[in-house]
Amino acid sequence: MSVWTHEARLLLRARLAVVGLALLAALTIAALAAGSAEVSRQRAAIAAIPAAQAEDIRAVANYVDRSKDAGSAAYYSFLPTWDAPSPLAFAALGMRDVAPYILRVRALGLEAQIYDGDVFNPELALPGRFDFAFVLVFLAPLFVIALCHDLVSGEREAGRLRTLEALPRGGRALLRRRTILRTGLLWLTLTLPFCSAAVFAGVSMANILLVAFVIVSYLLFWVALTVFVGRLNWSSVANAATLAGMWLILVLVAPTLAHVAINNAVPVAQGSEIALAQRERVNAAWDTPREDTMRLFYARHPQWSGSAPLGDAFHYKWYLAFHQNGDESVAASARAYRAGLQRRDAAGRALGWVLPSVGVQALLTRLAGTDLGAQLAYHDRIRVYHRHVREFFYDYLFTDRPFTRADFTKVPTFREPGKDS
Amino acid sequence: MSLVGLIARDELRLMGRNRVAVIAFALLVLLTLAAVASSWSHHRAVTQLRARQQHTAEAAFDAQPDRHPHRMVHYGTFIYRPPAPLAAFDPGIDAFTGNSMFLEGHRQNTANFGDVQQSSLLVRFGQLTPAFVLQVVAPLLLIFLGFGALSRETERGTLRLLLLHGATRWQVVGGKLLAMGVVAVVAGLPATLGLALIAAQHGALVLPMLVIVLGYSTYLALWAVLIVLVSALVRHSRDALLALVALWAVAIVLLPRVAPDVASAAVPLRNKLQTEVAIARDLRTLGDTHNPDDPYYAAFKQATLRRYGVARVEELPVNYKGVLAVEGERLTSELFDRYAAESFAAQGRQNALVRAVGVLSPAIALRSLSMAAAGTDYAGHRRFLEQAEAYRYALVQRLNRMQAENVTYAADVAQGADADRRKRISGRNWGEMPDFAYRVPEGEALAAAAVPELLILSAWVALALMLLVYATRRLGARR
Repeated sequence: MSVWTHEARLLLRARLAVVGLALLAALTIAALAAGSAEVSRQRAAIAAIPAAQAEDIRAVANYVDRSKDAGSAAYYSFLPTWDAPSPLAFAALGMRDVAPYILRVRALGLEAQIYDGDVFNPELALPGRFDFAFVLVFLAPLFVIALCHDLVSGEREAGRLRTLEALPRGGRALLRRRTILRTGLLWLTLTLPFCSAAVFAGVSMANILLVAFVIVSYLLFWVALTVFVGRLNWSSVANAATLAGMWLILVLVAPTLAHVAINNAVPVAQGSEIALAQRERVNAAWDTPREDTMRLFYARHPQWSGSAPLGDAFHYKWYLAFHQNGDESVAASARAYRAGLQRRDAAGRALGWVLPSVGVQALLTRLAGTDLGAQLAYHDRIRVYHRHVREFFYDYLFTDRPFTRADFTKVPTFREPGKDS
Repeated sequence: MSLVGLIARDELRLMGRNRVAVIAFALLVLLTLAAVASSWSHHRAVTQLRARQQHTAEAAFDAQPDRHPHRMVHYGTFIYRPPAPLAAFDPGIDAFTGNSMFLEGHRQNTANFGDVQQSSLLVRFGQLTPAFVLQVVAPLLLIFLGFGALSRETERGTLRLLLLHGATRWQVVGGKLLAMGVVAVVAGLPATLGLALIAAQHGALVLPMLVIVLGYSTYLALWAVLIVLVSALVRHSRDALLALVALWAVAIVLLPRVAPDVASAAVPLRNKLQTEVAIARDLRTLGDTHNPDDPYYAAFKQATLRRYGVARVEELPVNYKGVLAVEGERLTSELFDRYAAESFAAQGRQNALVRAVGVLSPAIALRSLSMAAAGTDYAGHRRFLEQAEAYRYALVQRLNRMQAENVTYAADVAQGADADRRKRISGRNWGEMPDFAYRVPEGEALAAAAVPELLILSAWVALALMLLVYATRRLGARR
């Protein structure tokens, strides 16, 4: 054991190593703080929904109460849905800075609503967020390179390598010890702050252990690469240059090249074309005989077909029926769009098996529930909720029941996953 | 040949003998060509796609049947932002902003369907564009080629020999700088050619292109000076390399990510839900068109009746419902504009903060310069949003005026079987509405927006040169 403490003392006497480890620790802590701040900002925005919503719905109720028309209630009630960040989201913000996590929907056509974005500053999103995943994927390898690139070549350049090789077992144990020590210290520098933040955020033990394992695997990949380059008997300078070049290719260039390749290989129909088609269907309904619209709607939703026939006057059940017809007419293309996005995402993640940088990023965002899969799952929850809302209002509209102020409290509310009872 | 030239030639010959350096250089050229080709084909595809979609949307609008004008207000229209001509060189935030927008009455919609939501997670690693290659990859290549320029000579004692043979320190440093300059020019050449090819397709925009070329030249020159400077300051090549790579990582990889976090923490943005609720609240205090006893609209009605000198809305020569629609849209749009302006201002402050960090990181300064000159920065997006809103407002009000003038009040309030037909006006009207035409900003304006960053970069070069003068004086001194 004393050999190890001796090695540690040696390492910590090297200024570069100490500065490097301290810098990495500072960056890790800063990234964790930035990620946590962003997540608590998002939580605060979600927590502020009920108050704002209550005010809004009260005003709608005041207005609707005059006519007691369920159609007006459906038309004017914008109902909130949200996607609360998972406990681990602070470590990998993923798409949460560009995809909306709060979306209000009403009982009209969903395809015209579900792709709406929230306000975000694109110039801030462009470079990507400064979170733990960034520090791990982009910066940690540079520290591995800085600390380990000259383990052998440094000794050679200092003229000690011959002496080392003359030691029993050729000094290999010594070099292995040094490598392990450096890797261990780097791992601790990343993992300890992460674990404290994760425990504080209430991340499950399984996920903490998994991330700790991901960190060590990723570090080991870079250490292995460094050791391999070190075996080539080049100078320290050549090692450092080669490794920095590899870093550039593995972390920056290859993913961007792959991005171009994937987008070309997996064409995705433009989402805006779905919105355009849906709008055409919806608006054409104003000029098609209303009975045709209702016939189409009743064929798909026979439970309402016993409703009274339409009179001459405008009736919201017709309006909402053609909105739903519009959604259903583009359902196939909406599914195809979604499938296309999933194929692109799957291709990106498959690349993670070859490119550790991509793999780690994909794994972390998957664990944190901040990737495209999570975004699509949120869309699914919105769709389910929207169906409940529609059916709730239909129950009044198709039976011509009056909608009173008290009925506003019965409108289904959005439920978060895991909180369904 | 002068001594400076000889030293430069010698340095270049040494680089040429370094096989790794040659391979790296070849890779850079290939990468640039790939970036130019892919960026260019993407740009062309996107331009065609958006033009086609715009055309489809316009044709659909024009082909609408006879309708009540207010139906058309709700039918609305889709518009698409054509990519900026220089977006093929630097697409900036194009992938992050939605590029299509649905315009309708009573609502200001967001621009939706940005590429970032339609791509794999890889888009967050950066995009392969000529700008990316020049901003990120080229400096690292220069570092690999040049870190040893002076430190190697110091390390091996050859500097002393050179000085003993009568070369001055200035000549040595000048020679190395010249060599780095040649490398930088060659490294930047493929992308510049690509830019020229891209721009040749569009003509014009000479000024922004000049600013871009000037900006990138200054940036690469800065790295050349910095590399020679660090190489002169340290005793070992290894230290020079580590210091330069660290500098590169901080300036190009770290700071551009940290700055936005600082900005978004310092300047909060109101989200859409908050904005919508606040607008609804303000609207309620303004007045309620549906409430016959509403004080604001009662007063408005009186004023309208007085203006036409009649006693009842039925006697007005125009359709009061249309007049009301015009007034309602005016009021709501004023509110929308106020909240939009607030959001624009907040985002502008955030971007200004990031640009302030650009004083510390030349990479941020260059990125801002490049996007501003290419017209793909936030200001460019805002230009689109503002033109879209102006168009939306004009379109909706035109339709509302049609309701006021071409639909009679009697028909508009009529109920019964035949009422719907009488409310409609000819579908020929829709074809006469002007189409959305995105006005491209003037080249002068684009170039002017990039000037502050050009100054920052120049100041950096000046500072680096001053430090180099200081380092040169001490070069070769016994330490």
